[in-house]
Amino acid sequence: MMEWKNTANVVIIGGGIIGVSTAYYLAQNGMKNIVLIEKGTICGGSTGRCGAGIRAQWGTEMNCRLGIAALDIFEQLDQELGMSVGLNQGGYLLVAYSEKELDTLRKGMELQNSLGIKSRQITLREAREICPGLAADDAVGFFFHGRDGHADPFLTTFAYLEAAKRLGVTCHRHTECTGILVDGGAVRGVETDRGIIHAPIVINCAGAYAQLIARMAGIEIPNWAERHEIMITEPVAPGVCPCMLMSFSGNYYIQQRPHGSIICGMSPAGHPEDYENKTTWQFIEEMSKTLIRLLPRTRGIRIARQWSGMYDMTPDAQPIIGETDVKNFYHSTGYSGHGFMLAPVAGKILAQHITGKKPDIDFSMLDYRRFARGEHIRESNVV
Amino acid sequence: MKTLSTEILVIGGGAAGLSAAAEAAAAGAKVLVAESDLHLGGQLVKQTHKFFGSKDEYAGTRGFKIADILLSEIDSCKENVEIHTNTTITGFYSEDGTFTAMRGEEKYFHIKAKKTIVATGAQERLIPFPNNDLPGVYGAGAVQTLMNVYGVVPGKRVLMVGAGNIGLIVSYQLMQAGVEVAAVVEAAPRVGGYWVHAAKIRRMGVPILLRHSIRKAVGDQVITGAYITALNDRFEPEGEETYVDCDVICIAVGLSPTTEILSQAGCKMMYVPQLCGLVARRDRTMKTSNPDFFTAGDASGIEEASAAMVEGRIAGLSAAADLGYPTEHGKLDEYWGRLQALRSGEAGARICQGLECVLVNRWEDVSDD
Ligand SMILES: Cc1cc2nc3c(=O)[nH]c(=O)nc-3n(C[C@H](O)[C@H](O)[C@H](O)COP(=O)(O)OP(=O)(O)OC[C@H]3O[C@@H](n4cnc5c(N)ncnc54)[C@H](O)[C@@H]3O)c2cc1C
Ligand SMILES: Cc1cc2nc3c(=O)[nH]c(=O)nc-3n(C[C@H](O)[C@H](O)[C@H](O)COP(=O)(O)OP(=O)(O)OC[C@H]3O[C@@H](n4cnc5c(N)ncnc54)[C@H](O)[C@@H]3O)c2cc1C
Repeated sequence: MMEWKNTANVVIIGGGIIGVSTAYYLAQNGMKNIVLIEKGTICGGSTGRCGAGIRAQWGTEMNCRLGIAALDIFEQLDQELGMSVGLNQGGYLLVAYSEKELDTLRKGMELQNSLGIKSRQITLREAREICPGLAADDAVGFFFHGRDGHADPFLTTFAYLEAAKRLGVTCHRHTECTGILVDGGAVRGVETDRGIIHAPIVINCAGAYAQLIARMAGIEIPNWAERHEIMITEPVAPGVCPCMLMSFSGNYYIQQRPHGSIICGMSPAGHPEDYENKTTWQFIEEMSKTLIRLLPRTRGIRIARQWSGMYDMTPDAQPIIGETDVKNFYHSTGYSGHGFMLAPVAGKILAQHITGKKPDIDFSMLDYRRFARGEHIRESNVV
Repeated sequence: MKTLSTEILVIGGGAAGLSAAAEAAAAGAKVLVAESDLHLGGQLVKQTHKFFGSKDEYAGTRGFKIADILLSEIDSCKENVEIHTNTTITGFYSEDGTFTAMRGEEKYFHIKAKKTIVATGAQERLIPFPNNDLPGVYGAGAVQTLMNVYGVVPGKRVLMVGAGNIGLIVSYQLMQAGVEVAAVVEAAPRVGGYWVHAAKIRRMGVPILLRHSIRKAVGDQVITGAYITALNDRFEPEGEETYVDCDVICIAVGLSPTTEILSQAGCKMMYVPQLCGLVARRDRTMKTSNPDFFTAGDASGIEEASAAMVEGRIAGLSAAADLGYPTEHGKLDEYWGRLQALRSGEAGARICQGLECVLVNRWEDVSDD
């Protein structure tokens, strides 16, 4: 157990990838006496349950900028953190099934290209070269970006955490935030089930629980938790799905881990919003059918496990990053199913802002008050 | 999707499951037994030695014969029993009470049941050491199955890790099958199994090295040897490593209850060292905190086949009674009497300690966390 101190310069709530990367970049920017609290175990939330896909093929300028910046960081993260994060850049292959979707994805591609992201439209033949055996005759178009891929969410989070600890960050697991101390319009610290920590800065990185934390400070954010299911097969020879295969209308994503297991997920209709990570037989049955239809040679591969996790959704499927109406109480949440990939850049820019530096990317438009102002632009590229 | 329906689903056709099925069917309930193996009997069918225990639980009879006795009992009320071998229950989904099942690798279907008895037995534990994933490293139970069910010897010369009953019995059976046992290593300062079993293999010249453990397996493609070492009071390696020439390393370091389905059913679970792992809390009728789920046998705590059979009978009786089938008055007390007799020894005292932690008198008194 780490030593308990009741003061800190910054308290970060949440030991998922967002909290941990934010802690690391704050420390790297010279912040001292950072304490991270996690009510369960590190990676026990959405992070340890996610598909861990990383891409720059997005439909809004903000997500594109964040996505490509995150890729830049991921590509040198092993070196920076001194530990492998299991990055695998097999590319994302996006599949369109209607003219309307093709049009949306093409517009997305044009936007991406204008921002330096080298995504391109490819033919079925090219798609089959990238993903041999792909059965998608009903598809009308394919888009590919070779620098996209996936990493290991556990390795990435622990690499950040270990690096943060080397820079002096304190991490308290099994420590639940039960209240936010506010006085004179500014945050003063947190209440936990192990005692109070006084701190002039508090950052809410509680993932799908962020709206509950916000409420403790009297702030309403329009987030909600959405249950998503996912499964993994036994390991098989590599090459069954060398890229991340994804379709928004087809409602699937499929990837193969470096050790051979295939991970795949889809979004069932009517996501329960109950914070219970339950699973259904309907999911494995539908997902298996989709998998076999797309990659017929997966027939006969055994399913090893299924599980579920929460997406921390916002109305426009873009994150909420920044200060709130309570001074020095920050949010970094609402990643709407793509927080793993954005974590490196999200942690970095918020840390730059808090330590008084100019952020690499101006994120002021991700302020949560945009919803009240009706300023949101809906991200279309999500499963 | 095909869905089978039954009044009572018994998961696992070992000592506990078969006893549960026999008891419930005799009371008049419709029972479906799902067993993942190709045949019924669980651990019993590979046990060629004579059992200990009490007369009521067939002491002095060889394990596989006990399975036959239970099967003929089930046969006498076969109109109430549907048996599915080669059928694994792969999951329980509490939101709509559906079990998923696989017959072999081909047929997938659903099962719905009013009451379920989880008698899934146990899994062998493994210990970490370098190269423990090389071919030639076996669980002792697997070696026993290979030899006594399929008539295949695992190799020529075995290093046995663990001197509990399983390690000792399997060592003896290996020698009966003409396989050499290089040594039995045991981390504890004393033999864990019954003394008669230890004496038998000592008489045949096999060293039982107490306070010793395996350090690493040696081999390129398959096992060709192992290094063992002495342990100090804190179980840390001490002194020189000794090389043992062997082509099989047999791990007999204990079993853990198989309880995933109980967890999926939301049963309140508890980690109890005396029962060897995570088990469901249960009342005297073997009912769990989910009133439609019962537990029995090794799945409810690692013990012996004798106790597993009695627990199975209690679960079968109670499930049938809950469905409204008339059951003989006083039978529950009689079964508890038998359990108490079985648990009167030294090993039984430990089990009783464990049961004190998990046994529930009134569910209303159990808090919700
Ligand atoms: C099935 C699935 C697939 C996904 N696939 C992808 C993908 O391919 N790519 C991608 O980028 N993203 C993906 N995501 C999304 C991604 O997992 C999340 O956006 C990301 O992990 C969010 O990280 P986080 O640190 O904000 O949240 P979390 O990892 O959930 O961390 C928040 C932490 O806060 C803790 N906490 C909550 N309340 C309190 C409290 N009161 N006190 C203390 N601690 C508290 C929680 O225990 C939790 O550990 C997927 C998600 C799911 C569920
Ligand atoms: C070497 C050895 C010697 C022993 N000697 C003695 C002795 O002398 N006296 C004594 O009383 N006891 C002895 N025992 C212990 C005894 O064998 C066990 O306690 C007893 O078999 C437990 O019965 P069970 O029905 O709970 O489990 P098991 O016999 O293990 O049966 C469980 C069954 O459930 C099936 N199953 C598991 N999961 C699923 C699923 N999801 N779907 C379908 N089926 C499933 C398994 O295939 C298995 O057949 C010995 C054990 C061993 C290994």
